[in-house]
Amino acid sequence: MEIRTIYNRIAVLRKERGLSRKELAEKIGVNFQTVGYLEREEYNPSLDLAFRICECFDLPVEFIFSTKPMKPLSEELLNLKRGV
Amino acid sequence: MNKTKQALRFAVLINYFSIVVILVLFYLVRLLGLNPIFLAFEIIPLITVVLSFRHAFVKTGIWKMTHASYKKLDEREVQVVFKATNISYSLFAIATLVIIYIFILSGLGQIDAVLAVCLLYIAHILPASIIAWNEKV
Repeated sequence: MEIRTIYNRIAVLRKERGLSRKELAEKIGVNFQTVGYLEREEYNPSLDLAFRICECFDLPVEFIFSTKPMKPLSEELLNLKRGV
Repeated sequence: MNKTKQALRFAVLINYFSIVVILVLFYLVRLLGLNPIFLAFEIIPLITVVLSFRHAFVKTGIWKMTHASYKKLDEREVQVVFKATNISYSLFAIATLVIIYIFILSGLGQIDAVLAVCLLYIAHILPASIIAWNEKV
């Protein structure tokens, strides 16, 4: 089975909330290196870890993870404003 | 490839090379009937084994990772260790079989304690070496 890349916005959200990789890692219960792997999209999280990340940022899963490359947040906001 | 990775791979190679040197020296002394005083030179590769082991596996935390309980690892680490253990199991089985055949065919007799210790050591460092070689640590 071919493994697809799961794209995410973890790096943006983490920086936006002023968290270090170590702090985020402690919150979601993984090693800080794993956060780096997740941010670089070199590792696809399990469903459990994905939900833990969503709970940490208090955001829905589809906002953080996608099977297609993520659009920049500014573009998404603009589209939302335009009602696209 | 960055310099840290290169240094790490170099340390792994030095570790294996030192083990080979230990074995070669031991069998040279035994097979050529040299004075056992030559075995004192084993201290040099032994020191390089210790130093390269410390640099490649202890400082990077890979040794701890491959020898920790699964409960203490996160899901990515479990995957990495599983993959490395899987590969090293096959590699070790093949390497041991080849060594046994060499011993039988060359008439060297049975595997002795020095080789057994080296093989046991390799069995322990093989998963860590695979991680050190492939992963970003």
